[in-house]
Amino acid sequence: MTETGRVTLYHWEPNANSGKPMLTLFEKGVAFDSHYLDLLSFDQHKPDYLAVNPLGTIPAMTHGDLVLTESTAIMEYVDEAFPGPKLMPADPVDRWRVRWWMKFMDQWLGPSFSMIGWSVFIGPSVRQRDPAELDAAIERIPMAERRVAWRKAISGAFSPEEMAESQRRVALGIGLLEEALGKREWLASDSYSLADINGFNLAYALPLSQPHLSNDTLTPNILRWLRAIYARPATKQCWAMGRTDMAKRVTILESEPA
Amino acid sequence: MTSILYHGEPNGPSLTVLAAAFEKQVDLALERIDLVAGDRHSARVPHAMEVDQSIEGEGPVLVVGGTPMADSVFIACYLDDVGAGPALRPADPYARWQMMAWCRYVIERLAPAASYLGLHAAPPARAPDGIASMDLAERWREAVEGRFDEAKLADSRTKVTQATDKIEAQLADGRDWLMGDFTIADLETYAWLAGMPALVADAFADRPLTNAWLARLKARPSVARALSLAATAAPETIWAPGPEINRWG
Repeated sequence: MTETGRVTLYHWEPNANSGKPMLTLFEKGVAFDSHYLDLLSFDQHKPDYLAVNPLGTIPAMTHGDLVLTESTAIMEYVDEAFPGPKLMPADPVDRWRVRWWMKFMDQWLGPSFSMIGWSVFIGPSVRQRDPAELDAAIERIPMAERRVAWRKAISGAFSPEEMAESQRRVALGIGLLEEALGKREWLASDSYSLADINGFNLAYALPLSQPHLSNDTLTPNILRWLRAIYARPATKQCWAMGRTDMAKRVTILESEPA
Repeated sequence: MTSILYHGEPNGPSLTVLAAAFEKQVDLALERIDLVAGDRHSARVPHAMEVDQSIEGEGPVLVVGGTPMADSVFIACYLDDVGAGPALRPADPYARWQMMAWCRYVIERLAPAASYLGLHAAPPARAPDGIASMDLAERWREAVEGRFDEAKLADSRTKVTQATDKIEAQLADGRDWLMGDFTIADLETYAWLAGMPALVADAFADRPLTNAWLARLKARPSVARALSLAATAAPETIWAPGPEINRWG
């Protein structure tokens, strides 16, 4: 029942959850129509998009008549449904390890990065807007949990304990990434895989956002890994789709180790 | 070299992996451990970062060729790759996406809720020493000290109800199994839900398709065989700290 129709990706910046299927599609060489949604203008909760994904989460992908959500599950679909280089390793234990890392990053490490990112970088800019307009925008979010999260993110209402816990997780996560990348060339196997694509979209800004924890001295393997992914032609194509300066901040990855 | 599965009572993730191994006819050496006593943190079980930091919490550990593996859905995918039995995942990529997205929903929304309610009903007596993950250690302390949050308990009951709503809708076309063919999604969903009728009875009222599906699962030979390994009379009442409830959405 796999369709052979057009592929359309509904995405934001080549970053985080949006960046995962974007980079996967470029690595596979799959042509797709790009439908850009401005996350900070709440495009993802407007009727046009809710008609595609009623949960209002980004990204979503259509393939012919098929609709897919959940970025990591979309990545596995893209790898299986299209020709092009295999992005899952052949060995079954390695495949387990790819999925283990993706879950760890999606559900444990990623939310901590997001909390810090929202609190420090994104929240302050969104907060400048009209409170009534923001409130109305939040009310349109379909999932109750996400309404709570957006309210906290926008109002900067994370407690010092929550922020400290997120910082603890980021520091521990950096250590675990460095350890894993010290054991093998790529995160979960000896070949470039979906775990690397997932991890890059989470961690590419680490040397800038956490310079005291991630740098050429403390985490040489993370820097080696980020530079290697940054240099891939697919990454260049993917980042060319960015509309903000979010993806322009990491020129550090263009330099050689200090 | 035979792989070794360290498993707890057949409930939650241990049930998923045991039944998946039986479905796939994978020959494993089964080592029973007491998850509620904290055996997974002792020297009895081989340690690796992926076990110590698994966000599933107290689940089974499969050791393959010296590599200790954790996280039940992904261990089940491994068993599906290597075993001779009928496939536990659809072959079609879109149907497979549906199954993986369903499992993600279960591990992210249902599992933390079921685990929280189960622990509230049957908290462990003491927290074991040597827990590497600080947040898992904190979930142990909360359970042992009876620090359960009313709002989280209420939200967890809502999550279980949402899950049975979702299952009832999925089975509405008369299918026997969630994805049509029997898959890991049936095992993982059942494994977290089996103990919930006793704790959230309302979530199972007026849901005939869900109740019939639960009965089919319980009677399925692989599940029945896993349940026959129970050391206690009611394995669905045995809980050790599982995944955390999402910190923010």
